[in-house]
Amino acid sequence: MTEPQEEIKVTAASDIEVDHEELDASIREFVGANGDAYVAAFHKIHNATGVMPNTFNIFAALCGPIWAASRAIWGMFWSFLILEIFAWVQIGRGIWGNPGAELLERAERQQARVQQMLDRASAATEQADIDRFTTLAANLQKAADNSFAQANAMQAEAPMILMTGLFLLVIVKALQGFIANSVYEKRYSNWRIDPSKVESGRQMRNIILGVVLTAAIAPLIIFKFTVNTNFLFLDAFPEQAVSNLVLGEGKGTLFSALADWMEARIDAAALAGGDVFNGVVAAVRAVLDGLTLALIGSPWPVVMLIICVTAWRSAGPRVAIFTAASLAYIALLGYWAVAMETVALVGASVLLCVVIGIPLGIWFGKSRRAYTAAEPVLDLMQTLPAFVYLIPIIAFFGTGNPPGILATIIFGMPPVIRLTALGMRGVPESIKEAAVAFGASRWQLLKDVEIPLALPSIMTGVNQTILMCLSMVVIISLIGGGGLGKEILEALQYAAKGPGLLGGFAILFLAMVMDRIVQGAFRQNR
Amino acid sequence: MSDAVVKLTDVWKIFGDRANEAMATVKKEGIGKPEVLERFGCVVGVQSASFEVSRGEIFCIMGLSGSGKSTLVRHVNRLIDPTAGKIEILGHDVSAVSDSALRRIRAEQIGMVFQHMALMPHRTVRDNVAYPLEIRKVSKSKRWAISDHALGLVDLTGYEDRLPSELSGGMQQRVGIARALASDPEILLMDEPFSALDPLIRLQLQDQFKALVAQLKKTTLFITHDLDEAIRIGHRIAIMKDGVIVQIGTPEEIVMNPADDYVREFVQGISKLKLVKAHSIMIPIKEFLANDDRALDDAPRADENADLDQLIDLSVETYSPIIITENNKDVGVVDKARLLRGIQGGKDGGGEND
Repeated sequence: MTEPQEEIKVTAASDIEVDHEELDASIREFVGANGDAYVAAFHKIHNATGVMPNTFNIFAALCGPIWAASRAIWGMFWSFLILEIFAWVQIGRGIWGNPGAELLERAERQQARVQQMLDRASAATEQADIDRFTTLAANLQKAADNSFAQANAMQAEAPMILMTGLFLLVIVKALQGFIANSVYEKRYSNWRIDPSKVESGRQMRNIILGVVLTAAIAPLIIFKFTVNTNFLFLDAFPEQAVSNLVLGEGKGTLFSALADWMEARIDAAALAGGDVFNGVVAAVRAVLDGLTLALIGSPWPVVMLIICVTAWRSAGPRVAIFTAASLAYIALLGYWAVAMETVALVGASVLLCVVIGIPLGIWFGKSRRAYTAAEPVLDLMQTLPAFVYLIPIIAFFGTGNPPGILATIIFGMPPVIRLTALGMRGVPESIKEAAVAFGASRWQLLKDVEIPLALPSIMTGVNQTILMCLSMVVIISLIGGGGLGKEILEALQYAAKGPGLLGGFAILFLAMVMDRIVQGAFRQNR
Repeated sequence: MSDAVVKLTDVWKIFGDRANEAMATVKKEGIGKPEVLERFGCVVGVQSASFEVSRGEIFCIMGLSGSGKSTLVRHVNRLIDPTAGKIEILGHDVSAVSDSALRRIRAEQIGMVFQHMALMPHRTVRDNVAYPLEIRKVSKSKRWAISDHALGLVDLTGYEDRLPSELSGGMQQRVGIARALASDPEILLMDEPFSALDPLIRLQLQDQFKALVAQLKKTTLFITHDLDEAIRIGHRIAIMKDGVIVQIGTPEEIVMNPADDYVREFVQGISKLKLVKAHSIMIPIKEFLANDDRALDDAPRADENADLDQLIDLSVETYSPIIITENNKDVGVVDKARLLRGIQGGKDGGGEND
């Protein structure tokens, strides 16, 4: 059993020799062309102990961004391309540019006016006129001289600009030469971690790409900023010319053609699916009407009492007092009816979000494929700015509260779907397996195991949905939604600071009360 | 009626998209595990497993992780469907039954205990134990009574209204056992139930479990990676390696006659004192009398089922060999040399007993 133990050789750290052979071979493999120079440079970097290893890469300094491109260090390529172009622009301005051109032009114009005045003076017969024109001419002459002087002064600055440009170029080149090897060595270290992911060697493809990019970018920029500062073709995209080319002369622009086409499509679709869209609106309106009737139709003391008691039961006395104070603020400032309309809007939106979102979330939680398919749609629903999908909503569903609720649902539903799916996927396999092992059917598994265990996540989703719906009901006032949002929109339109802020606070209190009550209720359920 | 409660015949499980294709090729060409992986990208989980477990028996399946033992036991209640082979429970072929019938078998005839307890954290201990009954739509009063009784069997009376998270690991696993017993199933499947517990609690639960099963006469399949545990608990042990059952036998058979080097390595460290019985180390009395001239006049007597421990006790008192009896008839003799070799295990004393 006892194997002869190999004796372990112990060497003091100071006596350990650096084994260069293997390292050198690996560096050569990475570098490709011109390996020896880089092996030497990398050794220098590896041996260095100071802040900045003292190496200089002459190729990098001379070729600049092209060197970086040839070694596929694209970050360095772009930064030094910009720096070098900046230096070249200064040089170009120094050589070809005409910094005093504008002033010189003005001076010449003024000189011409002087001549005009002098002509008039000589043509005049009355002494008074002669005096007047002569004085004017003298004043103008002064201004013209001034302009000439300024123009000359600016012209004299041209060599200065040229010098600055040259100086900058030298600095940039030197900087490239000094950091090139260090940057390349970093790249080498990354390459060692995963050779397949980091490009190595010097490749013709990259050199060509670097040259093409430089050739396409540098000359145009330098030309634009130095020789000709007023070149129409480069200033604005010639969309009219392109439109004429594509559509033919006098047929409008591409934009108008496309917009007309889309408008026609949308109108046709809205007409074709009119019954469906009307049905959806009617269903949403039914839910909203029910809630509105309950909140506004019921006597206000009853509604207030119920809200306060709910706050007490779910979140305790402190939240109840806060709720009472908020309701008093809303009622005293005459916001009661509109605030309740907002609550009804939020309530209807959240109700629909939950009724549609939770089953969808359960489905997405169980089927990976369905979730993969739905994920881009969910992302779109959340990232698309609300203003953008207000337009199709108007086109298909018209304006008013029910279309507003539909817009709110689009914005508010993703969290409840996502978090339900997340909760479903987080249910431990072992517990599901145990339930199945005891004979649970799919429905029993869902009802007894998956939903109860996913519930905290689902509740978080519902809470987020409530808050998102609340923020959206302000925006839907743009398409004719009512409630507090409408008050604020009106205040905004007339720049009415006082009413706007009072309405804003009413929404804030409403949001805080809802959030507190809902969170309190969830905490109790846990 | 056949006495086999659980019977597996040539059960195969191949994992992968092309499992059926691979299975057909295996049947036709008899290719091995590495070839299946190479040609079809499929993993063989269980390879031609056949065994029977009779009523009231504790059948241990022992193997290291990845040996396919958990996969194998999940075939019994078809949490995993076999790729090929036949599985019978109480004479019914469960590989052919409908979904609803399968659920009924799971709910009524099979109780299962899991390594990680798998209790539902949102239900009380009582409701956890009652869950199999709830699935069967037993009335609430009835299932509470039954679950309280089951909790009594595992000494957890008084904890009924606690949540699982309030209990220690050992107690949680006792809840798991109570849950498996609640529907009074014929068969218990124990999937490494005690592996996650600390050694002292484990010993305690093993003893408790053994007594309980003996009393309730449950047919048990017990999965473990611990041979000590298998020997303590099992009436018979199946040793699995890489999806293959290497050997099936009583603890004594496995320890005394390991089928191959793999099993031999396992049993090396096992204490034989309580395991090896007199009949497996004795020589027939006729043979002894023919070859040996030692007198047996004042020899002590021991039953053939006496273990080495008892034989040592007898041997300490006397210089004479021990006579082994079967039904009070002298059948064999164990002398000191044989006894010592028996304790060593494996090496044979006389040579003729090989």
